[in-house]
Amino acid sequence: MSRIVSRPAIIRALLKKELKAYARDKVYLFLTLLVLIAIPIAYTFLPSSVDETITLAVSPSVSSMVADAKDSLKAIGATDEQLAELDDADLSQEQEGLLLIEFDDEEDMQAVVEGTLEAWQTDGGDLVLRDPEAEEDKPEDAEKLNLDIGIAFPKDFIADITAERSGVTVTVYSDANVPEEIQGAMTSFVREAAYQLAGQELPVTMTDEAGIVLGTDRAGDQVSLKDKLRPMLIFMVLLMETFSMASLISTEVLQRTVTAVLVTPAKTSDFLIAKTIFGTLMSLGQGLIVLLLVGGLTPENWSLVLAVLLIGSMMFTGVALFVGSSGRDFMGQLFYSMVFVIPLLIPSFSVMFPGTAAAWVKVLPTYPIINTLVGAFNYGMTWSDAAGSLAYAVIWLVVLFGAGLLALKRKVESL
Amino acid sequence: MTEPAINVEDLRFSYGDLEAVKGISFDVKPGEILGFLGPNGAGKSTTIKMLTGQVTPKSGKAQVLGIDIAADDPNLQAQIGVCFEEKNLYLNMSAKENLDFYASLFGIKEPETMEILRRVGLAERAKDRVHSFSKGMRQRMMISRAFINKPKVLFLDEPTDGLDPVTSASIRKTIKEEADRGAAVLLTTHDMFEADELSDRIAFINDGEIVALDTAENLKQKYGTRSVKVRLREGSGVREEHIELADEGSSAKLAELAASPDLLTIHTEEATLEAIFIELTGRGLKG
Repeated sequence: MSRIVSRPAIIRALLKKELKAYARDKVYLFLTLLVLIAIPIAYTFLPSSVDETITLAVSPSVSSMVADAKDSLKAIGATDEQLAELDDADLSQEQEGLLLIEFDDEEDMQAVVEGTLEAWQTDGGDLVLRDPEAEEDKPEDAEKLNLDIGIAFPKDFIADITAERSGVTVTVYSDANVPEEIQGAMTSFVREAAYQLAGQELPVTMTDEAGIVLGTDRAGDQVSLKDKLRPMLIFMVLLMETFSMASLISTEVLQRTVTAVLVTPAKTSDFLIAKTIFGTLMSLGQGLIVLLLVGGLTPENWSLVLAVLLIGSMMFTGVALFVGSSGRDFMGQLFYSMVFVIPLLIPSFSVMFPGTAAAWVKVLPTYPIINTLVGAFNYGMTWSDAAGSLAYAVIWLVVLFGAGLLALKRKVESL
Repeated sequence: MTEPAINVEDLRFSYGDLEAVKGISFDVKPGEILGFLGPNGAGKSTTIKMLTGQVTPKSGKAQVLGIDIAADDPNLQAQIGVCFEEKNLYLNMSAKENLDFYASLFGIKEPETMEILRRVGLAERAKDRVHSFSKGMRQRMMISRAFINKPKVLFLDEPTDGLDPVTSASIRKTIKEEADRGAAVLLTTHDMFEADELSDRIAFINDGEIVALDTAENLKQKYGTRSVKVRLREGSGVREEHIELADEGSSAKLAELAASPDLLTIHTEEATLEAIFIELTGRGLKG
């Protein structure tokens, strides 16, 4: 029986078979359901608000510094009303996202930052210090403070600055675990405060106080954990799909069913095209479903998000082709997948700590994808903003997808 | 004169430095079954791989249904059926789904799936997934899959290997039916009884070379000895006499023994294919 079969008909037949094989496998089905159900459910439990409070230790207390410097402040133009306002200010409560913890003694503050002393704040706003080595009871109705940064001002700081005296030293204490960026920001904060005092017409401006900027200036557009993790969840879908797709291919190679396909009018290229289409559609489809469930698509970002999702889906399908071509059993496949998946997952963690991605992380293939997703979801990134990242992602797509296709082609033809 | 369905001339293939097929030549006519008889590693499966387009020959020429196998012409695959030694079926799909899928790759809109399954005795299990099938049932599935496109040429690689006698007989019957329909069949096996029973001609292949190619009868005549074994009662025991039919006076001696009141049995002693293979190659078929 001889007949000419069109390539689209062959690819359609292969796709139908792929779908059947996928739907019949309990592991793939479990992973798909896990992605489609668990991720949106987990997403609903993530906090949707942002705790923007920065807790900062200072020594000596601001009130004592102001009290000692009233004459100096008057000399640079502070009125009696403004000084009275300063006296009445209650710095024990959070002010515009900044909670100041005042220490009379610099050594106590240093010990708290170092962790050799504990600082507790009572409901009434009082500060209680506790030695964790001593067997003291924990203070009642009090909350333990986490102070990683402390600024020690000289007693005459305001007077010295307003008089433009040189050699004024301010010490910033920080725990060793505090990132350099934050230490740098604190130093800038002190310099800014000094500049404000010395160089402005109204050196003390409580209500219009400049915001403290940590890393990239996101003043006013802070992102909740829920929004931060949205791109990461989409990423998880792609990674999960990579594993399923790789297993599907691996099974076909292991059981040599592909050999039976290739003695029909179907060619190796038909097989590869079908795998590519199926893998990409499955990733893209599941990514879109999760996206619709967790939100994030807007009239402004939908085209950019879809484009980057498509690039990501094809990239991960390329990885799946590569991993699957090894033809390992289930456990072997699982571990082999991890070798590729873990490095690809790393950039998604940079979402949780903006501005912390190291240079080597930015080189990874998935970085431009996650970067664009974050930008499109949370910061109104446009096509022109994303052009560089997209171009970089496409380069990686060509490399990874090409490697995957080549590896699977060679494997299939060698069976 | 009928054109051969398979025509092979000086075909060669190597796996790296190892030459697996060393310039073999043969042809198979429509309706003919050619048995490729040889031990494991002799080059039987590699020959099938070349003829079905799975691997490219290093040199030589081969045509299947007049199509050059090196031409990568999908019309070739459209007209052949292949039964692999490995049972490479989709285990999570039912018997019917497996066959329907392969039929769709051939562009068959209304495949005779149930009829084919009926022929191999699997119609009752059509909707069952293949992973629940026994080894024999899977092998019957493999055979039925090779038939799905009513091929003009069938390549059957060890189709009854490791099966029980009943299943083997059933599969042989089906292969014979396909040949009767007009399909050319290239059958590889290391089972001499299967080759003897099914094949119109037999090619002995050893170490990548065809060492003999003829009908089973001619091979036996050419390489075997024509003799008769006669068993006679002798006292309380049994005496055996071997009479070479080619010897002078053998007819008279046979007539004399046949007339003896002590005669128990007379058996012809033609050479087996395995004995001929060993004589030709110095090694057995189980290799």
